[in-house]
Amino acid sequence: MKILVVEDDEETADFIATGLEARGHEVTVAKDGREGFERATADRFDVVILDRMLPQLDGLGVVALMRAEGVSTPVLFLTNLSGIDDRVDGLEAGGDDYLVKPFAFEELMARLSALARRPTLGSSPTVLKAGDLEMDLVARTVRRGGEDIDLQPREFRLLEFLLRSEGRIVTRKMLLEQVWEFHFDPKTNIVETHISRLRTKIDRGREVSLIQTVRGAGYTLRVPNPAA
Amino acid sequence: MSRTRLLRTTSFRLATIYLALFTASALALSAFVYLSIRHEILADFDERIVEETDALQTAFAKGGRERLEQILEARGEGGGGFSYGLEGPGGTLLSGELRAPAGGAGGWMEAREAEDDEAPEAKPEIVRALATRLSDGSILVVGDEQRRSNEILRGVLSAFGWAVAATLALGTIGGLWLSAQFLSRIDSMRLTARRLMAGDWSRRIPLSPVDDDLTALARTFNRLFDRIEKLLIANKQVSADIAHDLRKPLASMLRRLEAARDGDASPASVSAAIEAAIAEIEGVLETFNALLRIGQVEAGARRAAFRPLNLAEVAREVVEAFQPAAEEEGKTLVARLDAPLPMSGDKELVVQMIANLLDNALRHTPPGAGIEVAGKRTQGGISLTVVDDGPGVAPDELKAIFQRFYRAEAARTPAGTGLGLSLVAAIAELHGLECAASDNCPGLRVTLTTADEEE
Repeated sequence: MKILVVEDDEETADFIATGLEARGHEVTVAKDGREGFERATADRFDVVILDRMLPQLDGLGVVALMRAEGVSTPVLFLTNLSGIDDRVDGLEAGGDDYLVKPFAFEELMARLSALARRPTLGSSPTVLKAGDLEMDLVARTVRRGGEDIDLQPREFRLLEFLLRSEGRIVTRKMLLEQVWEFHFDPKTNIVETHISRLRTKIDRGREVSLIQTVRGAGYTLRVPNPAA
Repeated sequence: MSRTRLLRTTSFRLATIYLALFTASALALSAFVYLSIRHEILADFDERIVEETDALQTAFAKGGRERLEQILEARGEGGGGFSYGLEGPGGTLLSGELRAPAGGAGGWMEAREAEDDEAPEAKPEIVRALATRLSDGSILVVGDEQRRSNEILRGVLSAFGWAVAATLALGTIGGLWLSAQFLSRIDSMRLTARRLMAGDWSRRIPLSPVDDDLTALARTFNRLFDRIEKLLIANKQVSADIAHDLRKPLASMLRRLEAARDGDASPASVSAAIEAAIAEIEGVLETFNALLRIGQVEAGARRAAFRPLNLAEVAREVVEAFQPAAEEEGKTLVARLDAPLPMSGDKELVVQMIANLLDNALRHTPPGAGIEVAGKRTQGGISLTVVDDGPGVAPDELKAIFQRFYRAEAARTPAGTGLGLSLVAAIAELHGLECAASDNCPGLRVTLTTADEEE
C-alpha cells in the first residue's frame, strides 16, 4: 500500500513508518498539516494516517480541505485524546476511522487494510460468499454447503462483517465497534463468546474451519488454500 | 477598618441618600411651620394694637384729649409693652415718643421712637404702629415693639435649626454605624474567603443571629465551600489512590525487567518478562483511560449530545451482548424490560453504564448465579435495577462501591481498575439518575432511578 503519514511527533512518525515499511508498504511522512494536505492532494495514496493535533493546520482541517478538493482517500485519525466527542468530530469532518494512541501495531494494520479495501459505495453485493459459505443479505439467510444455518441477529451481523473483511484480520476492538457499537472495552468476553458460538454453528462437524483466531491480533475469516 | 472604606460602603451611601432626603423634607416642613407661626404671631400683634387703639379712642371720646394724655402718661410709665405717640394738629408731639408719619395720614406704619436725648448713639427701635386721626385733628399712634415677636420667631427658628442639626448628626452617626455593621459582616466573609484561599478549608462564614439577606448569602457561600471542600478531599483521595495504584504495577514491572536483565537471559525468560511488562503497562493505560473517561463524563460536556432514547431497549441490547458470556460461565442472565423506559441521554454512555454493571455482576458472582436486569416506570420517571444473587457486598461498604478505586475486601478478583462502578455513578449523575446499591439478600442490587428535580 501507498500510505501517507501526517504526524508532527518524530518518534511516533518513525515508529509508524518503520513498522509499515517492514511490512512492505510505501510510506511518505509529512510533518505538519499544511504539508500533509499538499501531499495528499498532489499524489494518490491508498490511505492517509492523520494525527489530530498538528502544527499549521490541525487534522480536522486537513480532512475537511481534502474532502473539499475532492480527494476521497480513506483517512485514519490518530489521537492522544480519548474523548467521546473527538471520535464523532473526526468522523464528521470526513475521517473514516479513528485510533487512540497508544495502540498496538496489529490494530493499526488491521484498520489500515480495512480502510484501503473499503468497497466503493453503490457496489455492495447482496450475497456474500466464502468457499461453500453463502450469506444472503436480503433474505437474511446463511447456508453452508447447501445447509441452512440459523443465526441470531447479532451473530448474523458478526458473520457479515467477517465476510466483508474476508482474508483480512479484524481486531476485537473493530468487532466491538462495528458489530455492537461498543466504543469501549468491556471486561466480559463478549467477542470471544460470540465468535465461539458462531464458529460452532458454521464450522462444527466440517473439515474446513473458516473463522480463525489470529493470536495477539484478532480473527479472520479465510478459506484455506487447498494446496497448503 | 479605614475611614474611606466605611464611607464607600453600600449602606453608608444609602444612609447618605436617605439622610439628604430626610433633611430636605425636615427643612421644608420647618419653613412651612415657621412661616405659619410668623403669620399668626404678627396677626396677633396687630390685633393687640387695634384693641389698644380702640380703648384709647373710647377714653378720648369720653374725656377728651386731656384724659387721653393722662392715660398715655400713666401707660408710658407702667409699660404694658406698647409705646405711644400723640401729635397735635400742628405736628408737635404732645405725649409719648412715637411720631406720626409725615402728611398726617392714618393706618399701619413702621414707626421710629423719638431719639433719646440721653443716649443719642443708641439705634432707635423700629416698632410696628397704627396711626389714627382723632376727631380734634390730633393723631394717636400706638405701636408695639417688634422685638418680642422677633424673639419668639428667633426661638422657633433656632429650635428648628437644632432639630435639623440633630437629624443630620443622628443620621450621619446612624449611617456610619450601619455601614460599620455591614462592613464587619462583609469583612468576616472576606476574612473567611482569605483563610480558605490560604488552604484552611474547614473555615466557614460565621452566621449572624439575624436571618437577613446577608445571612442567606453567607449560608449559600458556606454551602459552596462545603461542596468545594468535599471535592478537594475527593480529589486528594483520588491523587493518592492513583499514585498507590500505579506504584504496584510499576514496581512489579521494574522487578521483572531487572530480573530479566540480571538473570540467565535466555530468550524465553526475556520474552516472558517483556510480555508481563506489556500486560502491566496495558493495565496502567486502562486505568488512565478509565480515569479520563470519568473525568470527561463528570465535566458534563456530553449533555449537548443527548437524544431521546428508550433505556429498556438499550439495556436489552447490552444484555443480549452479554448473554453468551454469562451462559459460558454457567450463569443465568435475565432481562425484564417489557415497558419502554423513555429518557434523554447519550446512547454510547448509557450502553457503557449498563455494560459496566453487567461486567461487575458477572465478575463478582460464582458459577450458577443468577443476574437480572429489570426496568419499570416510577412515579417520577424510570428505574432500572441490576440484581445478582452472588456473595454481595458488606452493608457498611455498600455506599463505597461507587468510589474510585474501591475494591471490596471480600472480592478476590485479580484484575480490574476499581473504576467500573465509579464510571457508572458518573454516567448516571450526568443523566439525572440516582445510583444506589443495596443488599439483595443475598447478592447485590444496584438501582438507577430518575433523581428528584433539584430545588
